[in-house]
Amino acid sequence: MECIITIELGTNGIRVFAYDLRGCIIASMKGHYTTFHTQPDHSEQDPEQIFITTLYVLKNILNEHIHPKKYKVASICFCASMHSVLAVDNHGNPIGNAITWADNRAKKEAQELRHSLPGKKLYEITGTPIHPMSPLLKIAWIGHHDAERFNHTSKYLSIKSYVIQQLTGEYMIDYSIASATGLLNIHTVRWEDDALAYAGISADQLATLVPVFTRAGTLKKAYQQSLRLPADTKILIGSSDGCMATLGDGIKKGEQKASITIEDSGAVRVMGPTVLKDEQMRFFNYLLVDNCYVSGGPTNNGGNIFEWFTKQFGEFTNPFDMESSMQQLLEEAANVPTGSDGLLFLPYLLGERAPIWNANARGAYFGLNIKHERRHFIRATIEGILYEIYSIGKTLSEQRSTNSLSLNGSFGTIPFCSQLVADIFSKPVEVRQHFHSVSYGAYLLSATEMGIYASLDDAAPAVDAPDIFKPTAVHHAIYADYFRIFEKLSNKLSDEFEAIGNLQQKYAHPIK
Amino acid sequence: MKKNGFIQQNTFPTTVMVGLRIYHIIEGRFEWRINHQLYVFYPGDVALIMPHTPFGCDNDVLKIGSFSWIHLALKKQDGYILPGKWSGLSEAEAAAIGKILYLNNVPILSRFEEAGRIIKCIYTELSEKEVAYQARVNHQVDELLIQITRKMTQQTHSTRDFPKTFTQLEVLLRQDLAHQWTVEEMAGLVGMGTTLFTEKVKSYSGFSPINYLINIRISEAIKLLKRADISVTDIALDTGFYSSQHFSTTFKKLTGYRPSEFRKNHLRNI
Repeated sequence: MECIITIELGTNGIRVFAYDLRGCIIASMKGHYTTFHTQPDHSEQDPEQIFITTLYVLKNILNEHIHPKKYKVASICFCASMHSVLAVDNHGNPIGNAITWADNRAKKEAQELRHSLPGKKLYEITGTPIHPMSPLLKIAWIGHHDAERFNHTSKYLSIKSYVIQQLTGEYMIDYSIASATGLLNIHTVRWEDDALAYAGISADQLATLVPVFTRAGTLKKAYQQSLRLPADTKILIGSSDGCMATLGDGIKKGEQKASITIEDSGAVRVMGPTVLKDEQMRFFNYLLVDNCYVSGGPTNNGGNIFEWFTKQFGEFTNPFDMESSMQQLLEEAANVPTGSDGLLFLPYLLGERAPIWNANARGAYFGLNIKHERRHFIRATIEGILYEIYSIGKTLSEQRSTNSLSLNGSFGTIPFCSQLVADIFSKPVEVRQHFHSVSYGAYLLSATEMGIYASLDDAAPAVDAPDIFKPTAVHHAIYADYFRIFEKLSNKLSDEFEAIGNLQQKYAHPIK
Repeated sequence: MKKNGFIQQNTFPTTVMVGLRIYHIIEGRFEWRINHQLYVFYPGDVALIMPHTPFGCDNDVLKIGSFSWIHLALKKQDGYILPGKWSGLSEAEAAAIGKILYLNNVPILSRFEEAGRIIKCIYTELSEKEVAYQARVNHQVDELLIQITRKMTQQTHSTRDFPKTFTQLEVLLRQDLAHQWTVEEMAGLVGMGTTLFTEKVKSYSGFSPINYLINIRISEAIKLLKRADISVTDIALDTGFYSSQHFSTTFKKLTGYRPSEFRKNHLRNI
């Protein structure tokens, strides 16, 4: 019997799944690695810890579930978070930690470039929004502020490229991750000279560019032995978490269906044969395979905002019991009328990306009156997070019409939230409970590579039939009314967001 | 115990002492500087001054009020404080307490009446000298150290945000990877019992606390092995393995390489 293993290098850790060839899960395991915030805008991870955790979890799943049942590993397919940057020297040794997508140190660079003509051009060519998350700007930042690292860097890698290089010795980067670096021309699929010039590097400082189906070399001998895998075990370079979540949700190229992810952060995505053009530079366009782009908008404020709310106002009858505290809040929220009796929440606690792209944006409760109670705040918080998701979907629909949605991610798939999404969007929402879209996407990619499916388009329908949440017209009408104010406030408060952001910085207390 | 009825010059100059100093405020409001930082103490609060830390008040003048205090002469081991022979704590427990106090190093414990009660009891025992008073004092001093340690970790770690707590712990572990951390010490550092701690670490990280720690140790070891200038034995000890043998076995089990092979291989590929 053969199996397919997928490895997701995510924001908080690694997830390894083993599937049989039909896509049924044999086993899954996870391993955490830590994000360090050594300075306010910094967000870093230890590359060796990521590598060792990968090795550890992979070894455990093989020893506990795969080898005892005599499965043969047909392939190991990687996917990873986008936008990470790791500098390595000419010995391949990391210089400092890996910088994650959430790192904001390049905010000044981003602001300047975003409002310039060359910035606009780079956005059109590379498909990556001009934002501190983009490796283009992170590398430029290193050039401006960390000459020591800049001068000694032989290559700038993504975390995935580093882990694969440790395992096989090959420096490779796939189209999807590459198209999220801000350095790739997504139309010609080559590194873009103007972007390289802006970052101050040359193309040979980046990993070799390859399609997502590429074999990324052979496992080093020692790893063949410690993992007990044969030398010919196929290591697939794979794709990015965003592209895989979309594929794993059963989205087909050109279909009038959008995929929504609401995990800690979130995104709304569509898949099509062409890129979305946008004067206001609100959307990303990432390359999955030739002539197939995953386009959409990301948000900073998803399930993490409800988690924040729970930490502040949850009961926590048992220490650290986030889950039941959240559950309790959700039950209370369900008993509040649709629209929270006119209490609105702007969820921009972490600044915001799509659609307003305003790093200064902040949160607010609006419309508070004397009759509002604690429970209204709970529901308003959830509604606010989902209004923000809707505002991305709404701007996307200006360019690509959709008639149904597929929803994934730990926060989105809470039934209460799924129903709200259906009502707010006024569209049917497909949800698969206990389903991990990113890993399943990586399974579909591997299976397609093996010839089980003729193409990714053929693979998409293999995704299991979902539960469907149908929109309720009465509720939609209420949400639509409130959303108009939500949208207005989000734009109107721009000046005040900046003013309060500046004051928050001016009077900042050191974090204890 | 001190009751200060009137303000007097030079009554409270800044001093540095070898022992651990514990002050419990009974009445009044005091502004004291501990390690050059100003803190305000109200009744019920406890000031905790670690060994070799400057402590006093500005202008050297003590305000009106009263407080009780105790100075404890402690041993020092590997840079951490350790109670003396009088203590009934086991070696491991004493080490854990010393480490937790040292690493958290919080000079103010708020609303901590329990400490005042214990200090008062010690005072009474010492002045009345009833039968077995020495044993009673020893018990009470242990009790005080235990209560202070628990209070400190509970005060510094919320019981809501496990990811944050876990990250703080990892930072502390990485600062002293050479130390032979026990689960009890790790749990104690973040104010948790070992049962809850082990369960939470497992569900959050996917690893048992000890395996997670091994992860960090190996990650750090890999970094050092990639540099040619530190011996494998030194790396083993620096990253907290008992011996180079223990390091070698653990490293090989996970990576398939012995540390020396890993290094040779890595340097050859350059």
